[in-house]
Amino acid sequence: MELEEVFSSKPRMKILKLIYQLGQLNVSDVARRIKMNYTATSEHLKILTSEGILEERVYGRVHMYRLSETPKAKAVVALIEAWEKP
Amino acid sequence: MVPNQSVFKDESKLDINYIPQKLPHREKEQRLLSEFFSFILRCPERMAQRVILTGDVGTGKTALAQHFGANITSEANKRRIKFRYVHVNCREFRGSLQTILHRAVMAFRPNYPARGYGAEEVLAALMQVLDEEEATMILALDEFDSLIEKEGSDAVYKLTRLQEMRQGKPQRLSFIFIMRNLDATAQLDESARSTLQRSIISLTRYGKPQLIDILSDRVALAFELGAVSEDVVDLVAELAYSETGNARFGIELLWRAGKYADAENAGVVEPECVRLAISSIVPSLRRSELASLGLHERLFLLAVARYFKENEEVYAALTEIEKTYAVLCEEYGETANSHTQLWNYAQYLTKLGVLRTEVASAETRGRTTRVSLPTIPAVELERQLSDSLTQNGRRD
Ligand SMILES: Nc1ncnc2c1ncn2[C@@H]1O[C@H](COP(=O)(O)OP(=O)(O)OP(=O)(O)O)[C@@H](O)[C@H]1O
Ligand SMILES: [Mg+2]
Repeated sequence: MELEEVFSSKPRMKILKLIYQLGQLNVSDVARRIKMNYTATSEHLKILTSEGILEERVYGRVHMYRLSETPKAKAVVALIEAWEKP
Repeated sequence: MVPNQSVFKDESKLDINYIPQKLPHREKEQRLLSEFFSFILRCPERMAQRVILTGDVGTGKTALAQHFGANITSEANKRRIKFRYVHVNCREFRGSLQTILHRAVMAFRPNYPARGYGAEEVLAALMQVLDEEEATMILALDEFDSLIEKEGSDAVYKLTRLQEMRQGKPQRLSFIFIMRNLDATAQLDESARSTLQRSIISLTRYGKPQLIDILSDRVALAFELGAVSEDVVDLVAELAYSETGNARFGIELLWRAGKYADAENAGVVEPECVRLAISSIVPSLRRSELASLGLHERLFLLAVARYFKENEEVYAALTEIEKTYAVLCEEYGETANSHTQLWNYAQYLTKLGVLRTEVASAETRGRTTRVSLPTIPAVELERQLSDSLTQNGRRD
């Protein structure tokens, strides 16, 4: 996916900010917090994972996502920090 | 009077959740715990351990476990061993295994979903998380009996067979099961019970001297210097001792007594404050007991009440009470009874639980009988007795 495409989605940016703030989260938790339905949320999480920004861990039926250790993920963290911190 | 002179230096040291730096008279048990879990510092992942901690109410089970947990955690940190001590009170979570295990998972995954997954799934998740983190954990399950009551043998199997299901994999999860006694385990299957009961540490009840040590330590931390005399500590220890050796009871009593002292702006905790404090916890002289007393027994008891109202002491020699009693007899137009008779009254009132008597050997004059009024506030007792004496006293 092209850069502009990954970052042109408001829900995806919200998800990244959320996971940056709270650490590891499962799909329902993310969905509830960004006020979006489960399926759509899950789609966004999958995209961010396949881009190597997020990392998925599966505990039985629980799917949890967190920021991965890739350069892309680190760049995202830098972006959020530059934006959010005074 | 100096306003707002609190007897407390740091009230939080009397809080039920405060864990003191040292636990006098539990050194042996602390060493035992350290021994049982020493492998965590030497060769974590090679083995796992299950220990039961039992003892009556207020014998320091929770304090001991948490104290140990803090120590081993800091030792592990020093050695860069990945380790967590997690202490969960099962009763707080109504004995639900799933909820309790969720607390353990939260030590590493704070956002792990709390609902919608069974105990088995959460347990599997816990093991997976420990593997991911390459960490070991001691899970202390306090008031474990409530888990047994709720979940039965099944839960015990799930917890204890854990490692058998992971043959060849690193061992990561150890347990401390805490309960007052083993009664609850009677309802478990034979095999569940036997897998549970391997290493047991039982805490004996504290004696009065031990309670004095524990309470003195706490007084030094929580109260202003000189606010609580040795005699008052002695009185509180005596009361905690008769309350099954319950240290919590003693500590709570100290706190309440301090509150009464502050309310009176007294600057020090007087014995009367302790009596007021305990009467707010346990009932005072019951009406029926009072009604059963004869005229001279009442006069004697009134003498005790007067004496302690006027003297800020914990103990009084029987001969001192006798003097006050003689004055009272005059007041009420009665002829005073003999010393032996008074000694009998003291024995009877002790049996009722109103007084406490003890024989102290004074160096100069042989043995003297000492009386104390441990639980009923002297002021309250005086009022009750005066009322009863003016109502029907003269008819006797
Ligand atoms: N040896 C000790 N030294 C100092 N404080 C102690 C000692 N033993 C107990 N205490 C204190 O006494 C109080 C009661 O102890 P604790 O809560 O550990 O009892 P427990 O055995 O867990 O009782 P319960 O069965 O009611 O849960 C706590 O405030 C604790 O800090
Ligand atoms: Mg306890």
